[in-house]
Amino acid sequence: MFADSRFDYLDRVRYSLGFVTAPVYWVADFPASVSYWIDDVFVSHGDLIEENERLREELLFAQRELQLLAGLASENNRLRALQQASEEVRGRILPAEIINISSSPGSRRVLINRGAQHDVVVGQAVLDANGLMGQVTEVLPFTSWVMLITDSRHGTPVQVNRNGERAIARGSRGDVPELELEYVPETADIVVGDLLVSSGLGQRFPKDYPVAEVTSVVHDRGQPFARIKARPLAQLDRTRHVMLVELAEKELEMQLQGNSSSWAESGVKEELPADDAVKTTEEGEPAPATEAVEVENPDGSDVN
Amino acid sequence: MKPRAHANWVVLLSFFLAYLLAVVPFPEWALNYRPQWVVMVLIYWVMALPYRFGIGFAWIAGLLMDVLDGSLLGLNALAFAIIAYITLSLHQRLRMFSLLQQSGVILAFAGLHLMMTYWMKIAAEQAVASDMLFLLGALSSAFVWPWMFLLLRQMRRGFVVT
Repeated sequence: MFADSRFDYLDRVRYSLGFVTAPVYWVADFPASVSYWIDDVFVSHGDLIEENERLREELLFAQRELQLLAGLASENNRLRALQQASEEVRGRILPAEIINISSSPGSRRVLINRGAQHDVVVGQAVLDANGLMGQVTEVLPFTSWVMLITDSRHGTPVQVNRNGERAIARGSRGDVPELELEYVPETADIVVGDLLVSSGLGQRFPKDYPVAEVTSVVHDRGQPFARIKARPLAQLDRTRHVMLVELAEKELEMQLQGNSSSWAESGVKEELPADDAVKTTEEGEPAPATEAVEVENPDGSDVN
Repeated sequence: MKPRAHANWVVLLSFFLAYLLAVVPFPEWALNYRPQWVVMVLIYWVMALPYRFGIGFAWIAGLLMDVLDGSLLGLNALAFAIIAYITLSLHQRLRMFSLLQQSGVILAFAGLHLMMTYWMKIAAEQAVASDMLFLLGALSSAFVWPWMFLLLRQMRRGFVVT
């Protein structure tokens, strides 16, 4: 037990035992998937037409938003290029389904139906359509455990969307699944209703994805810090369909290297365009640089 | 004469069902009331066939439970082994008890299991429940035990598990 909590050489044992235990999950999930199947199959014609119309409307709406977003993204990239920062990379997305929740009270975790066979790795961010859900903490052959952001051992680096005030949102220890902002000074400008988005500082979560909404701010004079609570935007206890974001660590590392080298370069020569900075990185670190550039290009073309 | 000397599959099936019941999703408010299915099945088989199922078996069952639960590897294994040891040393007395008395013992055993995993989680700096309501699981286990005992005994006799 001690060995498992402190070292990781037992991971292989756990992984191979995962093959034995996988059928239990399949059977346990069976009723839920059957009910979903029944919902899908036995649905009236009228309902289908209605749903189709609604979806079409939503699609139109989303496409319009996407157009705006594309414009914003390219503008953002241009601005970033002006600032000699590398452009933001968006990771690929893998859809997954929640098939179980942790049976132990006190920890908030869910089990998803993607595992090592689907190239899931520890640390991947999990999102639903409304907000950030959590991150993968343990990978089994066909399933993986996701720690939700409301778990008391989970901290999410966030920032207030309105003014960029940074904080760390930790899961509450109580029974209510909510977030608490830790160590926020009394003077911080956070009010009820503020949207908290991920700041991307932990290098785990995509930047600027909505996380929670501030529900209460208590200024207690006896306390050094304000007590701020927030309600997660993701439907942590209702949704079944989630998204796994491909870990952008490699690309992030590239960004960091690119940034640091451009810093160093700019220290030597004062005026250096962005393109040259990227090239020097490529020469400096051949293998990861070319890889990341290959990854970056298709995404960039998608955005533009 | 007998079709099979040991009908192992009955034991395996009962454990499979217990694992299933242990991980089947519960609504949030009912989490504390989940009976300790695997512990009860383990106690039954150790009590009924102590010469076949002992501490080593309990340890393996606990390891599987750990993997299923996503908890620390060895947490349930150690607790199960301790439970199996106590059951082994008491099995002759336990068999003499009435169903109601057995339920009382199960209350103690399931509570012991919950407390042991709770303490071990604290020692290993894991997330634990903030209150003691999780001990209600022991109560529900004791409540379920008589029916489970009768069912398992019926299965053991019907399928001649020796």
